[in-house]
Amino acid sequence: MTGFLSVLRKEAIQMLRDRATLKFAMAVPIFQLIVFGTIDTNVKHVPTAVFDNSRTAESRALLNDFQSTGTFDIARQVGSRAELRQQIVSGRAQVGVEIPPDYTRRKLEGRPADYLVLIDGSDSNISSQTLAAANGIALSRSLEGKAMSHQPFPTILFNPDSRSANLLLPGLVGILLMFSGTMLASFSIVRERERGTLEQLLVTPVSPIAVVLGKLLPYLALGFGLLLTSLLVMTAVFRVPVHGSWPLLIALATVYLFALLALGLLVSSRARTQMEAMQRTQGFLLPSVFLSGYVFPLASLPVPLQWVSKVIPATHFIAISRGIVLRGATLADLWPHVAALLGLSTLLVLGSTRAFRKTVS
Amino acid sequence: MSEYGIEVRGISREFGTFRALSDVSLTVRRGEIYGLLGPNGSGKSTLIRILCGLLAPTGGEAFVDGLPVRSASEAIRARIGYVPQKFSLYEDMTVRENLDFFSSVYRLKGVRRKERIDWAIQLTNLGPYVDRLAGQLSGGWKQRLSVAAAIMHQPRVLFLDEPTAGIDPVARRDLWNLLFTLAGEGVTLVVTTHYMDEAERCGTVGYLYLSRMLAQGRPAELTRRDDVTPAGMRRLEVECGEGAAAVMGRARALPYVDDVTIFGNAVHLLVDSGVQAEVIDRALADVTNGGVRIRPITASLEDVFVRLTKLQAAAAAGGTK
Repeated sequence: MTGFLSVLRKEAIQMLRDRATLKFAMAVPIFQLIVFGTIDTNVKHVPTAVFDNSRTAESRALLNDFQSTGTFDIARQVGSRAELRQQIVSGRAQVGVEIPPDYTRRKLEGRPADYLVLIDGSDSNISSQTLAAANGIALSRSLEGKAMSHQPFPTILFNPDSRSANLLLPGLVGILLMFSGTMLASFSIVRERERGTLEQLLVTPVSPIAVVLGKLLPYLALGFGLLLTSLLVMTAVFRVPVHGSWPLLIALATVYLFALLALGLLVSSRARTQMEAMQRTQGFLLPSVFLSGYVFPLASLPVPLQWVSKVIPATHFIAISRGIVLRGATLADLWPHVAALLGLSTLLVLGSTRAFRKTVS
Repeated sequence: MSEYGIEVRGISREFGTFRALSDVSLTVRRGEIYGLLGPNGSGKSTLIRILCGLLAPTGGEAFVDGLPVRSASEAIRARIGYVPQKFSLYEDMTVRENLDFFSSVYRLKGVRRKERIDWAIQLTNLGPYVDRLAGQLSGGWKQRLSVAAAIMHQPRVLFLDEPTAGIDPVARRDLWNLLFTLAGEGVTLVVTTHYMDEAERCGTVGYLYLSRMLAQGRPAELTRRDDVTPAGMRRLEVECGEGAAAVMGRARALPYVDDVTIFGNAVHLLVDSGVQAEVIDRALADVTNGGVRIRPITASLEDVFVRLTKLQAAAAAGGTK
């Protein structure tokens, strides 16, 4: 471990002096957290076009039901079915409602009163939520106060209001840490190689492990600062309550940071130029976002991709983070993810040291 | 303890099918300055990188301060200093921070560390610049800083790869004075250079050409080598003012002239001994207007290397000239 403290001090000096990188690593993720945190994934105010052939008090009451769900926002009335369709094709509306001329008569006669609901399927999230809302309206209209023969009592646990921030932020923290941490570390060694300082460093008696750890720790401190700040923003600004143990969350996040930084170092040891390191990191980061369960539920991935997702550190951290923050899960509940995360971190630290040793000799 | 600071025995290094060094041997006595010369790509940097333990040889063995490079590279690192061709300290740190860092990786501690840093600063006159960022120094000062960082731990052997490339004459002179001071203290130095005046200051010079050691010895010995000025030939200097290029062109066409080189306003000729100066003067009259000064000279180091390179190239091409 010869030279560990020397390398650590040198890296700290260089890191603090490089304002542009510091800003990139700290301010940008926090800014993104705040911006993305305001996104509401619950579908609301979907622009809706109406072709009302009936034009009666009954049809207006039906349309009023649509409007009052909050899901639909009746933006315009049109005069034909073709026009209704055109509204959706052009993107001016995402839902079209056509009420036939005999709507009121059939309803008064007690016959099924049909109406057409056109839904834009180009956004599956919007189409499924608007479909559910439209069915809900029809169901409540059909019952009109009568009891259902079968009635579920669905109870949503842990995030009863379906607040998007609660769902989004614990995962987003993991994603933002991944971008900053991996990127920063991926430059650390290759930057010295590109500037020629690595050669000078390697003729000194400093040992490879001292270089790797000495470079890792300042970034770990930076990542830790970023972690605390983003957790603070999550709880204080977006009022996401942490139901589980704070110390457990922070301890496991630190293990996660180790994995990310070691991964960056691994890339850095192999790359010849900073540009190459950047490209390789990008090649890893984007799939990680999609396969970590942050964007798509893991269950919706094909089986081979599910296996891939298991070796992505973010997968386990996001599961841990959501578990602790939203469900109040404990170490006993989360142990498979914790074990996987620890294993991946250890492998990556060993791998990056090995890769660096190889570049040395 | 070996009397040699460096001993290289038949070192070779291949990169794939490319031979960067081929059976190179040399010895450098302690406290001696060894000048390593040769065109770019001849293997100078490869040799230095092997001796520094940055690169393993594929054949042969070398000893630095008595230690074998193949098996003792870690111990060697603590005893050597290396000043690479390109400035390789941290430009975003100050002069003092750089010296602090390198003194600490060389395991200097406490009072002694402070003493050694101060000593290096004093020796290189870096005093007024200690708080300046290394990246803001000019070329000459960067070079002094590189040397300072490489000598704080009192290395037994110091390697400098083209230390004077691109720095001004005053800084060059200062650097050489510094090297002589270190050599006087018993440090063994290996310096690569393209400058002949620097080569002449070295105790021993070696000339690498196409990965082989073509010649080595004291500068004075090399200039007297038989194959440099072959029997039956002598060297003449023709002073010719502005028209040196024209004179060279003309002289090349003469049957008794073997080699022509321009030196400023003069041309150096290697000619058959039997040819008198007046004959040459007349032969060149149409480009010099006659009456130019022609005098016999001894070979310079540059003559030596130019000559040896030509002989080698001719031998490689199967020629017999």
